[in-house]
Amino acid sequence: MSYKIAVASSDGANIDLTFGEAFEFTVYEAEGTDYKVLEKRKYELPDNAVPRTNTICSDKASCRDDCGNGRGCSGAVFPKVEIISDCRCVVCKKIGYKVQKQLEKLAIISFDIDCTVEEALNKITVYIQKTDTHRSLRGIAKA
Amino acid sequence: MAKILDKQRYRCAMAAMQSVQAIDRAIPVLHSGPGCAQKLANSSGSSGYFSPNIFPCTSINEKDVVFGGVNKLRTTIENALKVIDADLYVVMTGCIPEIVGDNTEEIVEEFADAEKPVIYASTAGFKGNNYKGHEQVVDAIIEGLLEKSDEKTDGLVNIWADVPYQNEFWLGNLRELEKLVAELGLIPNTIFGYGRGIENIYKIPKAQFNLLVSPWVGLKNVKKMEKKLGIPYLHYPTLPIGAFETSKFLRTVGEFAGVDKNKVERLIEEKEKYYYYYIERFADLFLETRVMSKQFSVVSDAQYALGITKFLVNDVGLFPARQFIVDDTPREFRKSIKEYFEELNYGIKAEAVFETDGYKIHEEIKKHDYTGYPLILGSYWEKAVAEETNGHFLSVSWPCNERLIMNSFYVGYDGGLKLIEDIYSVAKTRFN
Repeated sequence: MSYKIAVASSDGANIDLTFGEAFEFTVYEAEGTDYKVLEKRKYELPDNAVPRTNTICSDKASCRDDCGNGRGCSGAVFPKVEIISDCRCVVCKKIGYKVQKQLEKLAIISFDIDCTVEEALNKITVYIQKTDTHRSLRGIAKA
Repeated sequence: MAKILDKQRYRCAMAAMQSVQAIDRAIPVLHSGPGCAQKLANSSGSSGYFSPNIFPCTSINEKDVVFGGVNKLRTTIENALKVIDADLYVVMTGCIPEIVGDNTEEIVEEFADAEKPVIYASTAGFKGNNYKGHEQVVDAIIEGLLEKSDEKTDGLVNIWADVPYQNEFWLGNLRELEKLVAELGLIPNTIFGYGRGIENIYKIPKAQFNLLVSPWVGLKNVKKMEKKLGIPYLHYPTLPIGAFETSKFLRTVGEFAGVDKNKVERLIEEKEKYYYYYIERFADLFLETRVMSKQFSVVSDAQYALGITKFLVNDVGLFPARQFIVDDTPREFRKSIKEYFEELNYGIKAEAVFETDGYKIHEEIKKHDYTGYPLILGSYWEKAVAEETNGHFLSVSWPCNERLIMNSFYVGYDGGLKLIEDIYSVAKTRFN
């Protein structure tokens, strides 16, 4: 059965964006160990949010704009999580604890990893295929 | 068939982090999921300079299964070396990294030039229980720290006995064994417990021989040391408790070490006089047969089951019912251990059963006719069955929930007296 993987990448080749920095996710459709690009999903800031001045969260004040940006946020599901809620997993460079927990509640696996999109998807699809078919994960880290 | 959770009598191999903790200023660095040190949370006497709560751990998760956890391991070791002031760092692996195939050894080798020694012990849970894990830790020390030495210290003897923390009397026993060996005029060397540590580890290769006091745990280690370090070993399978076995122990060790026979005999004579002075003083109690049980069962690991059985038959004069060995002894040792149980005085033979299923053990105890009050020496788990069978009960093996054991011991002449004290203290409560 096919499933979707959301990837946070600025160039389509490397996983170079944190969850907070990503305003667009490339959604892949995977079946077994094959995968292909399905679509791109944009995330729009809510109307009442203060626009970001820079994309990197070095300036604390500029971080008070929306959720999933490293500052945390309480209450309802982050809007950004909602746009990928139909995905099986999300791959980005870094991801905050609260977002991780929200994804966990939706049974979405989050991977924060710094590598190429190809490497990540190859490994993730093998892992998911093995767990879905109840096969041993022996030696999976060596592959 | 459905299986239910059974009474836990040992833990997974990784619980051998206790053996590392028992070495002064040594710390385990764990490459495992979070919570693997939690299994030590209910151990007795495990706080101190390092406690399981602060053992550095890679806390690997799903991501590390998919992408490998070696980078996390590298940074964890790097930072452990920076922030923890220890003499020895022992990297230990849990099941997950070993299943997925992290090359832990390679990462540990990167730290060969670190200021402090970093060694690697493979302790995945599927490799066995913590008795096996203990062997793995000692193995790692032999592999990673020790080199053959041409320089030998005359009379230096390395002593290996109980598994730290798993055998509740481990430290007291080890110290008493040291004393006995010292009284033979030899120099004992042990690595566990207060005031030993890394210096003693480095003394190991200079020893004249290794003395292993255990039916099977550690046999692999002394054999390895014989091969790698050229140290011969003396395997004494029975934990010497009480006069009969301790005198035999002293004779065996004395002979192996080449101690003058007359000196050994003089020592034994003096020790036995001292021992029997106490026995004689309380002979009226010991001869009052209504107080004590006639038959007994020990439910413990091979070390205690054997040591206590020999003591209770040879010294105390009780008759053995079935003895239960619960440490999941590897098959290759079972035959010889069964035979040790058959070498009792007065032609008595005890039947030893290797069984880890607590329910079956308790059913057998209930079925057996002890011809009076049964005497049950076991772990906390045997308390209920002892109550049910109206028996005398003393907890001697892990988990020992209702006793506090700090430095007391059952080894040697004094240890035998202590065990008699403990058993009669239980028995006397029934009549007073």
